[in-house]
Amino acid sequence: MLKWLFMAILAFCLVFDFFAERHHAHFWGDHVVEFWAMFGLAGCMGMIVFCKGLSHVWLERDTDHYDK
Amino acid sequence: MTSSIFMHPAVLFIFGAMLLPLFKKFNAQKIWLVVVPLLAFIQIKYLPSSFGCVEWLGFKLQFGRVDQLTMVFLHVFTLMALIGSIFGLHVKESGQHAAAWLYVAGSLGTTLAGDYLVVFIFWELMAFASVFLVWYRKRKRSIEAGYRYLLVHTAGGLILLGGIFLHYQRVHDLSFVAVSPDSATLAEYLIMIGFMLNAAVPPIHAWLPDAYPEATVTGAVFMCAFTTKTAVYVLARGFAGFETLAIMGAIMTLYGVFYAVIENDARRILAYHIVSQVGYMVCGVGIGTEMAVNGACAHAYAHILYKALLFMGIGSVLEMTGRSKLSELGGLYKYMPFTMIFTVIGGISISGFPLTSGFISKSMIISAAGADHRLIIMSMLALAAVGTFLSVGIKLPYFVFFGPKDSGIKPKEAHWNMQLGMFMGAFMCIFLGVYPEYLYNMLPYAVHYHPYNSYHLAETFHLLGFTALGFYLMVRYLTPHDVSNLDLDWFYRRGAGWFMWTARNPISATNEWVSNIYQNVGLRFTMALARALSWFDWEGIDWALDGSAKGVVKGGEQVRQFQTGKLQHYIGAAVALLFLVLIVVVLI
Repeated sequence: MLKWLFMAILAFCLVFDFFAERHHAHFWGDHVVEFWAMFGLAGCMGMIVFCKGLSHVWLERDTDHYDK
Repeated sequence: MTSSIFMHPAVLFIFGAMLLPLFKKFNAQKIWLVVVPLLAFIQIKYLPSSFGCVEWLGFKLQFGRVDQLTMVFLHVFTLMALIGSIFGLHVKESGQHAAAWLYVAGSLGTTLAGDYLVVFIFWELMAFASVFLVWYRKRKRSIEAGYRYLLVHTAGGLILLGGIFLHYQRVHDLSFVAVSPDSATLAEYLIMIGFMLNAAVPPIHAWLPDAYPEATVTGAVFMCAFTTKTAVYVLARGFAGFETLAIMGAIMTLYGVFYAVIENDARRILAYHIVSQVGYMVCGVGIGTEMAVNGACAHAYAHILYKALLFMGIGSVLEMTGRSKLSELGGLYKYMPFTMIFTVIGGISISGFPLTSGFISKSMIISAAGADHRLIIMSMLALAAVGTFLSVGIKLPYFVFFGPKDSGIKPKEAHWNMQLGMFMGAFMCIFLGVYPEYLYNMLPYAVHYHPYNSYHLAETFHLLGFTALGFYLMVRYLTPHDVSNLDLDWFYRRGAGWFMWTARNPISATNEWVSNIYQNVGLRFTMALARALSWFDWEGIDWALDGSAKGVVKGGEQVRQFQTGKLQHYIGAAVALLFLVLIVVVLI
């Protein structure tokens, strides 16, 4: 139920963007329809892959690493 | 004029801290803990624009300078002191409250200071008082982290002091005013580095996620509010418009949020997230336009409240369960529903949901970057906003209060005073979101910014909604494990190890070797030298002294034989001498 409500809100956002006013555009991205939706999705997924990957291959240590 | 120093709000907190044990003895500590911050919160509205000017050793010190920029920080600092003190009411140790209040006093003193010497005095008070908030946790790890915190801040303080000295040597004036980026020399940059250390700008940020998670529950609530935001104030006062700050700030926002995505300890996530959020403010200060500086101040105000709210929420969980690692928590919403609601309010505020304080402050800085045509910085800030919602807005509450697994613990709901503290924080987050003019009217410049326009709302919903979708799709990759991640504190933590190893092994061995040589060769040589000197003393000096002494005795004996003591002999000798002189004179 909650899942479908969430999906409905996302769908509404997507549709709304076709009719949004773009007076306050700061740069080219503000003129692209669904720009911020793509930015959010790609940014979020990219960040998870990048950060978790970096942690996994390099940064991650036991919590008592410095005590050893 | 000197007596006007007593109207300084820091004085209130210092005396308040000193009297705490007395009030504890009469069982009135809880009342006193509310009265003092409340008085300070009311009192700041009646401060004159300048007070507490003191002549000292030829320096003009100014303890109080009040303008719009000072006022917005004073307002939120005293409000936060009130909320933090209420949150900590159940703590019986007066020492912890006293440390917190001295820390607040340091922060207020720095904010009000009109010259660099006063800034420095209160700056150091802040560092030395706050370290006790770490040590009061009394675990081995906290004590070690406290020492590291103190060492880093002492180093930062020395850099600041060096800058102040060089600055005074150059301009012979200590007044703390805005520096123009064109006229800045090494002195001003050293001062700026000292300030940046407290703002936790990478690469000198690692003290923050190292110390804050080890602080006491209430200590962390205070610490997250004051050190970094005081640093934002001094940067805004002295260094607005420095390009370095704009770039470093944008890097900070991403650096902090990356670590917040991968860390496991909830308070460490929040600590890293301070780095990210302060990045917005440092960036705003660096951009330096009226709108950007306004945004930095507004964001500092809003951030103190919601970050403290998050630290209170997670602190309540830690207090009631003894755990703060995401991998050991989950399913707490059934047992701590109010804490859950307050923490989620903090989470959505920090993510910038409409009708919360994050929405009206963060967007101001991003818009200012856009209005100044800094597209790269603007997109970095927007990406950090995505990461914020991902790490603190969703990940943190999800794994603590809901989560794929139930931790099986059944804690009680937090104490009433903790809930009251959280309620006050949560109320302010929503109040500012609904009624932004309350905050905008306090800002240093006039505000022409309207956050609630349809495009900005749509943009926010897109950004946040699709970040949530990304989380939903990839949640299994975010499952927390009991690990910690390396950061730049590696250099001094491992470096200290190497230093100790060098001291124990090569240096100690060299020391041993040198002392052996001394015992075998040096000691014998010294003894021989001593014997030689002793012989010289005996045979040379004593002979000379004794010889001259004997000479004096002998001469005295001979003189004594002339002195018969009979008057007629003296007169006879005198007449004979006179006669002799006359003969010589007459004949020649």
